[in-house]
Amino acid sequence: MKITYNWLKDFVDIKIPAQELAAKLTMAGLEVVALEEKAGDFVLEIEITPNRPDWLSVLGVAREIAAITNTKLKIQNPKGKARSAKGNFKIEIEDKKDCPLYSARIIRNVRVAPSPEWLRKRLELIGCRSVNNVVDITNYVLFELGEPLHAFDLDKLSQDKIIVRRAKDSEKLLAIDEEERNLKSKVLVIADRNRPVAIAGVMGGKETEVTTSTRNVLLEAAIFDPVVVRRGRQALGLQSEASYRFERGIDFAMVEKASARAAQLIQEICGGEDILFLSSGLTKPKEIRVDLDTAYVAKILGVNIARAKIKQILCGLGFKVRQKSKEVFKVGVPSFRQDVKLQVDLIEEVARVFGYDNIPASLPAVKPAITIREKRDLVSAIKAILVGLGVSEVATYSLLDKAVLNNLGLNLAKPIEILNPLSQDQEILRPTLIPGLGRAVSFNINQKQDYVSIFEIGNIFLGETKPREELVLGLALSGTNSFLLEQGLVKDEAGLLNLKGTLETIFLRLGIQGYEFNNQGALNCAIRIQNEKIGLMLRLSPKALEGLSIKNREVFALEVSLDKLFSFIRPGKKFTPLPKYPGITRDISFVLKDDLSVKDILLALNQKGKPLLSDIRITDYYKGKQIPAGFRGLTLSCFYSSNERTLTEKEIQPVQDLLCETLMQTFGVKMR
Amino acid sequence: MDINAISTQIDLDIQGVHSSEGLEEFRLKYLGRKGVIAELTSTIPSLSKDERAAFGQQVNSLKNRLLALVEDKQKTLSVQSENTTYTSFDIGMPGIAQGLGHLHPVTQITDEICSIFSRLGFSIVDGPEIETEYNNFTGLNIPLEHPSREAFDTFYLKNYAKLLLRSHTSPVQVRAMQERKPPLAIVVPGRVYRPDAVDAAHSFMFHQIEGFMVDEGIKFSDLKGVLEKFAKAVFGKAINMRFRPHFFPFTEPSAEVDISCIICKGKGCSVCGRKGWLEILGSGMIHPHVFKHVGIDAKKYTGFAFGLGVERIAMLKYGINDIRLFFENDLRFLKQF
Repeated sequence: MKITYNWLKDFVDIKIPAQELAAKLTMAGLEVVALEEKAGDFVLEIEITPNRPDWLSVLGVAREIAAITNTKLKIQNPKGKARSAKGNFKIEIEDKKDCPLYSARIIRNVRVAPSPEWLRKRLELIGCRSVNNVVDITNYVLFELGEPLHAFDLDKLSQDKIIVRRAKDSEKLLAIDEEERNLKSKVLVIADRNRPVAIAGVMGGKETEVTTSTRNVLLEAAIFDPVVVRRGRQALGLQSEASYRFERGIDFAMVEKASARAAQLIQEICGGEDILFLSSGLTKPKEIRVDLDTAYVAKILGVNIARAKIKQILCGLGFKVRQKSKEVFKVGVPSFRQDVKLQVDLIEEVARVFGYDNIPASLPAVKPAITIREKRDLVSAIKAILVGLGVSEVATYSLLDKAVLNNLGLNLAKPIEILNPLSQDQEILRPTLIPGLGRAVSFNINQKQDYVSIFEIGNIFLGETKPREELVLGLALSGTNSFLLEQGLVKDEAGLLNLKGTLETIFLRLGIQGYEFNNQGALNCAIRIQNEKIGLMLRLSPKALEGLSIKNREVFALEVSLDKLFSFIRPGKKFTPLPKYPGITRDISFVLKDDLSVKDILLALNQKGKPLLSDIRITDYYKGKQIPAGFRGLTLSCFYSSNERTLTEKEIQPVQDLLCETLMQTFGVKMR
Repeated sequence: MDINAISTQIDLDIQGVHSSEGLEEFRLKYLGRKGVIAELTSTIPSLSKDERAAFGQQVNSLKNRLLALVEDKQKTLSVQSENTTYTSFDIGMPGIAQGLGHLHPVTQITDEICSIFSRLGFSIVDGPEIETEYNNFTGLNIPLEHPSREAFDTFYLKNYAKLLLRSHTSPVQVRAMQERKPPLAIVVPGRVYRPDAVDAAHSFMFHQIEGFMVDEGIKFSDLKGVLEKFAKAVFGKAINMRFRPHFFPFTEPSAEVDISCIICKGKGCSVCGRKGWLEILGSGMIHPHVFKHVGIDAKKYTGFAFGLGVERIAMLKYGINDIRLFFENDLRFLKQF
């Protein structure tokens, strides 16, 4: 909201310069976001919080200035009274919940003309366009007192009554912004006998607006229900200074005052006779009273403020303060402070004016609870491992478009949809991290990255009877990782085995046992722990790559449920005694057909080699010139040991022979 | 053979040794299986009883002298050889190590902030991203149809009535206070969602950290003290702070917290909009209505709460000027942290 320094001075003596005033207002909760010197005045732009409609006026801000600078507010009571002549004019309110108070003032024989210089200047300084003297006066009073007014051309109304009612679904209204609006029953309107003439609390109608040909005016000052105004302006997509104030709440006591103030200005500026004032609605609400225990003030704020000071602050803000008992004040809340209902609301007022800066800083005695944060710790541990392995963490959006999922070719349940997305890429909640990771890979390939190795840990969203969130780890690799070693550049092209190795490192660190990787076709591999599927690894299909605009590059990704993975962590590590006797290592090199699985071989040899064979592992692997197509060369390293004695060559030779025999007979390998 | 002559020859020979090969030759000549010492030793049995002891002793001391000489020479040679063999080594060549990955800046800031509060005795708690309308609004004293809700525009779910993506981490206050009893000191990091048009300053998804403390006798001054510790831990001891009255439906009194601009030190610059201050978080004393909704006795307990945007803190701390960078995942960006 914009407000000027000189206008404020109409209501309060300000003895400090505008800069200092702005700083004081900011520290009282009226944040001054801009201060501009303009045409011999200062324009302050203030951010008013939605709980303080009383600050949406020159009077309201002046009242605050009076309180924080400890001066008196200059109240101006408008002069002159309307003759409440009896006429046959009536106000009908369909539902007093929608419109608790409506007043109409009839002023005859006005001369509509351009506004005088001073009026035009004040409005223009705060960004309000000048229309004509009558319209400008209604706007002037709105900004000055915070009560929105509307002036109708009386002769364009049916002249017998004003009706405040809900619109009918078929009704239309051309508003003063020259746009025709289709009304709905949500919308409250002001109507005459025949038709709606204004959208209540939002905007007047074009047909009945005050123009230079207007002679007689009906001046409306009313209160409309905040929620009704809000729904109406939302339904019509309309916003105005009036609706902004009605939505936040209008002071009941201000309606008649504002109407009188406008009438006075109209008579001064446009001439005319103020001949009739009518009002209809509920009676003025009773004053709210709140007890304020001064000991409680200290308990909440942590500072002792003298009772006299508390009283002075509240009185300065317009509260009526009476002593109830030694410690307790009975505080009467003025009608413009609908936000104050509880003791803490008063405490905030005291603290604001006392100054937050004057409240000391203290440290509470924390009584720490036993912290259960295993999941977070495990996530941190996994992140540390991945970073140590050279993988970088990314953060991708939890919202996605549907199209990217369809290209992925995974069997996914129907994702959860968003009711009110702003754009297509917010249609659904991600049921997998893979598309987001794929996009991040694609982005980095476009930035000419040779090697992309990224992960994300976050929730995926599953649309079951109740929506469910699952914490998952996603990892994606693409391109060639280069290592400059002493022998020169070594290149490692990313593939599924890199994903497998990375995951195994995590399993090892977390003490996960009984995991396996099972091929599911050429592109896809299931990850299981103790036979429960916890995730998958895949090579993205050509269609998926095309959907991600990735050309000439392969992308490998995995996704693992951390919620499931963590359920397999068993507490406690146990020490295995170190071997007492040295063991013997023997290697076997052979050529193996490509379609045979190493996993099966190791399983079979482990069985056959018992009990002397204590470990068997692959130590070399190659394909190349010496190996025929469709085959690969492997070297296995067999480690024999015993807890009872040092083994001899003689003892292990038969076992080693048995292993070789098994390899040849069961798996048809060729020894090298 | 004359022991003295041999001894003189030894001195001459050892001076002529300049390489490990030469030393080995020397060692073999004197100490080898067919070397001089062995030869001398083999003559011992042929000597008379009287001569044996004295000669034996001489041979032995000669042998010890030789061993010492060889050892010494070895040491000097190895120093020399280090100097000669590696003189061509270039330490300017790149070191060899597995390159590290990088944690996302949001993770780094979140971890830093959580660890500060952890050390102050706060527990870290998570909450769901899909929330009920009640926990996101009503339970926090945010009326469904009031302008004060406008700051919390929200994505709703299709086909699930009254479920939404949380627009702030505050609903975890409601959850935690329903599940646990005071005293409570909790921080909640997490993702939040608001249907805002995306630009350099706005994102429809970002991260927040919520913190709150509930006990008997918690006061506004405690809020000031705790947040001062926090801000100085993150932005350095030299900053100034101010608490500015503000409005949040779930706190009363409420305060926004500003720190003196870390770029211009409070003089006013483009980052702080010439104000000299940067807003870093919102806070206040927990509203009695919030306590009422979760069944905590507001007469007995008081509490404070605060919330901050992680990206905003990261942007200020690292001088990042566009929030979209956090979700673009450009490795050239991520690798700077």
